[in-house]
Amino acid sequence: MSEVQPPVPEPDALSAPFWEACRNGALEFSACDDCGHYFLPAGPCCPDCWSPCMSSRAASGRGHVFSFAVYRRTYHPGMPAPYVVALIELEEGPRLISNVVGCAPEEVAIDMPVQLRFEPAGDFMLPRFAPVGDEKETS
Amino acid sequence: MSRHAVIAGVGHTEFGKLAGRTAWHLEAEAAAAAVSDAGLQPADVDGLLTDPGPSQGILQGITPHFLRLGAQLGLDPDYTGSEILGGAGSVAIVARAALAVEAGLCDVCLCVYGDSPLSNAGSFEYGRGDEAAFGFFGAVGLHALAAQRHMHRHGTRAEQLGEVAIAARAHGARTPHAQKRQPISMQDYLASDSLVEPLRKLDCCLVSDGAAAVLVTTRERAADLRAPAIPILGHAQAHSLSTYTSPNHFDTLPAARCGPKALGHAGLSASDIDVALLYDCFTIVVLLQLEDYGFCKKGESGPFVEGGRIGPGGSLPVNPSGGLLAEGYGGGMLHVIEAVRQLRHEAGERQVKGAQSALVSGHGLGMNTHATLVLGSHAHV
Repeated sequence: MSEVQPPVPEPDALSAPFWEACRNGALEFSACDDCGHYFLPAGPCCPDCWSPCMSSRAASGRGHVFSFAVYRRTYHPGMPAPYVVALIELEEGPRLISNVVGCAPEEVAIDMPVQLRFEPAGDFMLPRFAPVGDEKETS
Repeated sequence: MSRHAVIAGVGHTEFGKLAGRTAWHLEAEAAAAAVSDAGLQPADVDGLLTDPGPSQGILQGITPHFLRLGAQLGLDPDYTGSEILGGAGSVAIVARAALAVEAGLCDVCLCVYGDSPLSNAGSFEYGRGDEAAFGFFGAVGLHALAAQRHMHRHGTRAEQLGEVAIAARAHGARTPHAQKRQPISMQDYLASDSLVEPLRKLDCCLVSDGAAAVLVTTRERAADLRAPAIPILGHAQAHSLSTYTSPNHFDTLPAARCGPKALGHAGLSASDIDVALLYDCFTIVVLLQLEDYGFCKKGESGPFVEGGRIGPGGSLPVNPSGGLLAEGYGGGMLHVIEAVRQLRHEAGERQVKGAQSALVSGHGLGMNTHATLVLGSHAHV
């Protein structure tokens, strides 16, 4: 039996530019040209003012853990547990679902500062996040 | 003359693994049970609303579900539709039935939930798409994010989530049709397998084959029917569709918005509610709802549930039939049915003494849909 591969992104017309930017080493979010709102994921309009005029900005790659969950059971044979799924809030404001890598699951905490790190998955580059130094917030 | 909606009949199948029967068989059985409970005939039904359940409705995308079920039941209704709101769907269709009968669009509206994920393979498969690429699968992971934040912000402990699971099983032990009738201890809870930390297996609802149905009609039509009519005093919906981008998502449910509305229509406040039927797909959702409906202050649901307060004989019994954690996964329709039985005072060993008012909630999809019903007793009719 062949090894089961993890699922990969399924880009559509709206998300394809995001994944293309990732291949080029940039995590992009959308900026509304009319009201200045920053958001993810990409959509057909600004979710604040519904303006159709948007442009892409490259994120600094700095952010923090808004919340996280440690998968202890393997749900997909291509993604063996344990691993950490986190909702990351970027320094610029938008949030995205990602993983915290580069440390043990037990070391992850809410508000922990993290730094973008791209990792390959099939034909894609996935934006994942690793801890920044030791500067964990202890709130 | 204004028309007032009441629930006149309820019925359901058994819940569990029901091999050899499709969801359609189960839905037909539940529909017949509800019509019979009301003392009506199939020909009296002139409205049909359905909630196809997670594996039929969300994952398989069966639309329009009402068309096939209506054909199988031989119905030519004056009003119909299906709603896919996840766990808020069943409460939402009962509320929509109330609107329809009060508007005179139909007189006897059948509301049906059904699903058979255990006996029909392929219903619940691991996820796909952009979030699945990060291993973010299913409802457990999503609710684990909420539980993690509650523990971080409010100091909520595993034992307090455990209180919810223990209460549900204690209730289930008194419910003859419950799928899980064995009580559990805190030791059992803490020893339960970690699935997606901080949630354990015993934090998660059951997966069940089964169907449940409710008949909504007018107070006048129900006057000479078999059972006491249970009035629908208030209902509301609120949703949070912007999910991850919304500042309060994971901390506050839309219940905080639709609870006061539904209670306000009923002329009641949370402290007037005798029995709460709170959607309990995961223990953390019960804690969040206790806060967001105003049964306790924000952040204080952990201490609130200690000491058996929501268990049998507690000051606020929650889900006396055991709910999704013990009775079976009924999409929220079993919650509506238990409220009706409590308010008819026919719940047997699990009857909440003197229950005159009930709040029923539904919560679903990416923690972003919510619906509330407030029901009264025959005394309110």
